[in-house]
Amino acid sequence: MAPSTDSEFVTIVSNDGFEFIIPRSAACVSETFRLMLSSTNFPEGRTGRCVLEDYSGVVVEKICEYFCYNEKHKDQVNVPDMDIPPELCLELLMAADFLNT
Amino acid sequence: MDGEIPLPPPRRIRHRSPATANPSATGLAVSSFQRAQRLSRFDDRSSQPSSDPALFSSDDIPASGLENYHATVSGAGRKRRYRGTWWGEQVLDPKRKRADFKDKRNVDSGVWMGSDESGAESLLPSEDGSTWGEDLRKSVLDPRKPGSSAPFLTEMENVAQTRAFRSAGESDAHRFAREVVGDCLDKGLESIDLGDFHLRTIPSGLLPPLQHLTKLPSVKEAPVSENVFTSLQPFLRIYLPNNSLSALHNDLFELSNLKVLSLRNNKLAEIPSTIRRLTALEVLNLSVNQLTYLPWEILKLMQHGELKHLTVRPNPFLPIEEAQIAEWHCKPNDKKEPENDEDSTPSFQSQEESSLNEGWAPLHVATGPITYMDMEGNPMGDSPSRNRPTPTPSGPTSPVNDAPSLREVALRAVSKLPYLEHTTDEELAEYPALLVPLLQQAREVRAAGGQPCSVCQREYVIPRTEWMEWWDFTPCENGMKMPRCPGEKLRPLPFRRFGCSFSCVPGSC
Repeated sequence: MAPSTDSEFVTIVSNDGFEFIIPRSAACVSETFRLMLSSTNFPEGRTGRCVLEDYSGVVVEKICEYFCYNEKHKDQVNVPDMDIPPELCLELLMAADFLNT
Repeated sequence: MDGEIPLPPPRRIRHRSPATANPSATGLAVSSFQRAQRLSRFDDRSSQPSSDPALFSSDDIPASGLENYHATVSGAGRKRRYRGTWWGEQVLDPKRKRADFKDKRNVDSGVWMGSDESGAESLLPSEDGSTWGEDLRKSVLDPRKPGSSAPFLTEMENVAQTRAFRSAGESDAHRFAREVVGDCLDKGLESIDLGDFHLRTIPSGLLPPLQHLTKLPSVKEAPVSENVFTSLQPFLRIYLPNNSLSALHNDLFELSNLKVLSLRNNKLAEIPSTIRRLTALEVLNLSVNQLTYLPWEILKLMQHGELKHLTVRPNPFLPIEEAQIAEWHCKPNDKKEPENDEDSTPSFQSQEESSLNEGWAPLHVATGPITYMDMEGNPMGDSPSRNRPTPTPSGPTSPVNDAPSLREVALRAVSKLPYLEHTTDEELAEYPALLVPLLQQAREVRAAGGQPCSVCQREYVIPRTEWMEWWDFTPCENGMKMPRCPGEKLRPLPFRRFGCSFSCVPGSC
């Protein structure tokens, strides 16, 4: 398979098989993803497909939403709050630690 | 208790001047003249003592005039009324009769009146409510008395909440403090003196009932003059001097109608920013503590709140001569000169004689360097110490942006969870280890009632920027007696300020 480092989009996969296709720049908000995707030594870097084994589709959807939220509000001063359902916030905290964002 | 006894004189405290603590380091910048000034007993130019003012009956308490001699003074205490004959024979305390009667009275008559259940009696100005409560308590808790029934017990719970009864195993200091507070609640006294109680902490549940303290109407006798129609809204004063408090309970900051707070001579190393919630505060005394800086929120109370008299010296504040300054707003002339090119007069002076308000308002003197912090709230860059500057705003590497991190976004959601404040440390320990400190932090923020960013006012959990600002507030230290004179020497003090994102830095507001 051709290295996908030039591809504009990457795929984030949850442990129950949901796939989220987001811009590469958005995924690189996460330091972990940025390192994964920028190196060809990792399979993620070659295929542009990251599997988050620990998180379900609901959480990964929220993570991807955050990536886009962050990308959108990068340089804005008065950033509106993102809506996080209370049942997800603990898992998102864990994910934030893993993703280093 | 009677507030008419003035506060005891302060113990002799060796004034810890920063110059004596660290005489060699200041060296170059400070002239010997200044040093001599700083070594003086009062480093206040106004040489105002830091202790709380004594209360005199002739003070301007509205109800204390001669024409209102018999009315209860709404201020600190009642007037000492002379009882006795003109040739000096003292009348025995008339209250004795009541006490004797009470002694003879059978406490538990075994009869439970329906009217008692409503708790109406507790609303009356009982002479000594604490002993009344004690009697009840004994009779209720005595297991041999079968008469105590369920309504009795439920009422006892209410009473226990409002009167802050002691619980077993509590230290004497806490018990006395509860008695004092209970007494003030009973009698509607608005001045709570908890000085010299050797309190290390403020016992939980002690202060919240004071939020609902109501003064008692002073109608006692038949001729009702107009003077009795005064507000029952208390002028709440809490005096906690000469204790050993090292931290302040959040309960204290719930008292939104608190007007006067004295924490003189305690062991406080930091004033939490939660103090911003005391919006009615007019007088604050923080002298003789171990403060090295003040929260920036106090400044807000001076600028936009009611705070008119702030006594903070002496405290081991970080002297501005030793601190790193990134930007001078009000130029010091004996230093490296940033951008101003006016005549060099000695030390800091306020040179703008512009508006009328200028002489009264706090004056921004300088801003310290910014410390940037990473997503976990640890200082980033090569210099971990907060006193050393991080290079530049462009210093933070990696994808830096102004949007909150996912961790922060999630923590904000956590801090709004309804049940968070009731979770204990044991329950938190069941969560993954890396979450526990974060959750504790969120819980603290929640307990403090949120934590708005000092720049953008949005709630945050983990601060990302931190810096010191030096402000001069001489008029507030004088109790707003006189404005700052132009050309006067400024005596700025450090205020610590936090921002919630990398864009929340000085100058961005």
